[in-house]
Amino acid sequence: MDNRLTHEQEALLEDALNSYPLAPMPRSITMDVMARIQKDSRPALITWNDFVLSLAIAVCVGALFFAVQNLPPVMLTKIRIQWILLYQDFLVNARWLVPAVMFGLAALLSALTIPTLIQMTANRRR
Amino acid sequence: MSDNETTLIQKAQKGDHDAFAALVDEHQRYVYNLALRVVKDENEALDLTQETFVRAWTALPNFKGQSQFRTWLYRIVTNLCYNRLPNLRRSLNDLGDDVMEDIPETKFNAPADEFESNEARRHLHQAISQLDEQYRLLVTMRYQNELSYEEIAASLNLPLGTVKTGIFRAKAKLRNALAPLEESWTTA
Repeated sequence: MDNRLTHEQEALLEDALNSYPLAPMPRSITMDVMARIQKDSRPALITWNDFVLSLAIAVCVGALFFAVQNLPPVMLTKIRIQWILLYQDFLVNARWLVPAVMFGLAALLSALTIPTLIQMTANRRR
Repeated sequence: MSDNETTLIQKAQKGDHDAFAALVDEHQRYVYNLALRVVKDENEALDLTQETFVRAWTALPNFKGQSQFRTWLYRIVTNLCYNRLPNLRRSLNDLGDDVMEDIPETKFNAPADEFESNEARRHLHQAISQLDEQYRLLVTMRYQNELSYEEIAASLNLPLGTVKTGIFRAKAKLRNALAPLEESWTTA
């Protein structure tokens, strides 16, 4: 393939790429878009959903706190005993869970951070 | 970005619907074209275009004007395309970046025969529409939406070298598509 042919090919390619037509729109979408944005207003700083969810969580935490404060001392002691027994049982029979949980947490943390770090590195290269 | 567009963006950011409608009118054709070239379906492309502008409206208060408005819109539409075509993102990333130098762009030097020239153009237009989706996206952004390599890289969040490599390979594929036609010219 000689240079003249390559140059001609390049010229043909550039011409074809530059003359490739923009697709005509079947219809304007302006009205559809405007109808949708009039219905979906921009989100405020917090939405009603966020507010209700936060309120529900706060109420649950508060209720738990007051329930613990008002439990009879005998029941509190029983709960404490059961908790100690469970902890001891865990230490004796399921000690392997400690490294497994730690490894799982490390894997989760890596999965959450490594893609972002790769992205940041790619952006810096660019 | 023209002063008029900047004014329209500022008004739209404050909630002016008419200003935003003017921006939609101005840019919808290019956004639609980009979506259509990637998804190759008119209805899906219209859906994507509409969704792009709805998302743009929601995110407009965060638009700081660091990039061009149209580049920002193309970023939204390509992200939506990634959702529709999960392999597109991977295909773009897999292009690599082995072409780092600028691709020379020659001026059109008309072939001797006008008929041959028109035939080649039609043939190449057909070949462009049959390119893989990642190449169609890059070629459309470069040649139809007239973005610079840097703007394409920013829109697609890709390294500049990857964009150049993609366009270089798209041209190589088109060059291959031209080969049978050239043989028919030489044998004629």
